[in-house]
Amino acid sequence: MKLEGRWRLFGIAFLMIYLLFSLVPIVWVIISSFKTHYQTLIMPPKLFFKPTITAYKNVFLGGMGKVFLNSTKVAVIDIFAAMIFGIPAAYSLARFKSKVTENIGFWLLSLRMAPAFGVVIPVYILMRRFHLLDTTVAVNAAHLLINIPFAVWLLKSYIEEIPVEIEESALVDGATRFQTLIHIILPVSMPMVVTVAILIFIFSWNELFFAFVLTSSEGMTVPVLVASLAGSMTFNWPLLCAISVCSMVPAFVFAFVVQRHIVRGLTLGAIR
Amino acid sequence: MRKTSLHERDKYRFLVPTVLVCALLVSFPFVYMLYTSTQYWIALRPERSFAGVGNYRSVLLSTEFRQSLLTTVVFVIASVIGSIVLGFALALVLNEKFRGRNVIRALLTIPAIIPPAAAGFTWKFLLNRDVGLIGGFFLPLLGVKRALLGDPGWALFSVILADVWCQTPLMFLILLAGLQAIPVELFDAARIDGAGFGQVLVRIIIPLLKRVLGLAVIIRFIFAFTTFDVIFTMTGGGPGIATQTLPLLGWKTGFLYYDLGQAAALAVVMLLITVFFSSTLVRMVKL
Repeated sequence: MKLEGRWRLFGIAFLMIYLLFSLVPIVWVIISSFKTHYQTLIMPPKLFFKPTITAYKNVFLGGMGKVFLNSTKVAVIDIFAAMIFGIPAAYSLARFKSKVTENIGFWLLSLRMAPAFGVVIPVYILMRRFHLLDTTVAVNAAHLLINIPFAVWLLKSYIEEIPVEIEESALVDGATRFQTLIHIILPVSMPMVVTVAILIFIFSWNELFFAFVLTSSEGMTVPVLVASLAGSMTFNWPLLCAISVCSMVPAFVFAFVVQRHIVRGLTLGAIR
Repeated sequence: MRKTSLHERDKYRFLVPTVLVCALLVSFPFVYMLYTSTQYWIALRPERSFAGVGNYRSVLLSTEFRQSLLTTVVFVIASVIGSIVLGFALALVLNEKFRGRNVIRALLTIPAIIPPAAAGFTWKFLLNRDVGLIGGFFLPLLGVKRALLGDPGWALFSVILADVWCQTPLMFLILLAGLQAIPVELFDAARIDGAGFGQVLVRIIIPLLKRVLGLAVIIRFIFAFTTFDVIFTMTGGGPGIATQTLPLLGWKTGFLYYDLGQAAALAVVMLLITVFFSSTLVRMVKL
């Protein structure tokens, strides 16, 4: 569809304004993270100033490196755990159809439609009983509750599109199902496996609610740190900006790498 | 013959554990939530007792629930409409071919994949009366000197704005995917017949995108209805309870007052509302 004349001008103007609306907030936070606390208080704000990396030093030398480590740990363990279960499960659901599993899609994603404060209650009770509150294990368990069904669902729809014939010759030659899964299906599915891994990483890295309820200091993840500092009354603006910028780094990387696949992931696989 | 028996045996070896684990994984939270909602259960006390529908009655009859429900309705409607209209407009513009389109698309995606907590902080910072670019600089230039997040009406407007900011990219990407599936020949034919863009939009694009639009509304509704992070980071539900949507009420009930029974009851109520609305929408657009 070609936009012409008047509509074209409207379109360009709208896009420009929206880009400003979309990016200025982030750029403003990035700029402010290089200021001193005093400089952030100056109004009207100065665009040109002597940048300092003090805030970033404070983040990583001030003991907050551990929080970033926690977040990374949770996300990476989540990816592996979801894959170890998700790949075989997706394979069996895609290849062995049965009446029971026909409508499994809606069911698998239902946890994502439920309010998080309800889903977290059983996890909270279990973790308290096993004295695992405030550990990354608790956060991992809660995230896997969402991520495993999510991985199964996305991988299943991908494997369904792989023709069965490529497996059959291997099966006829005496390979076991497990061998065909590892040596034939898995290599073909790699693009989707990587996409799912990235989406799990983003979910885990961004997730606030479960982590907020289940941890308080030792097991704290990055969004919890951001939320609790933003909610406190004393503000060290450059420090908060620096933490936020660090928390956005994966987004900056992945926006360019996977934007095509993000649609599939964020729409829960409903649109390809 | 041998092949079918092989498949049959495989089928159970693979499917049974999968279905069992999935069933446990997905059902356990729901069953437990339902069970908890029928108990008088304060998290830090050992005793609990059967409540029947007691928790539901307390939740549904409280004035705080009614106010939060109203706030949620306003929040959901404004946020869904805002992000879909903006996302649709962006999709129409970016469906054009021009240089730099991919870079712009990637840049527009960023607000949707940064941590929502960071997005909440970003807007809180931006709107702050002392240090924010908008609240401390632009608005005073226009003569507005009040703290936006301290005023009940403006605070609600602000969290809606921040949520639209986060969620529009997703709507844009969904609708763009839908637009790109429309065959170009249809547009060419319309143009040869002398149809202007407005006519093409109303007569061709919107009818053809009905399903995708419906899907976008459903997804967006579910996300807006359960939004917690952005609001919590920006206002914590305040001032007072002006921006306290149902998820924030649920958090407060369950993890500030430790009334797990009532929190679970509220979660079940919200789940029923979600199921009701999404199935109605699904029927409306015949997905």
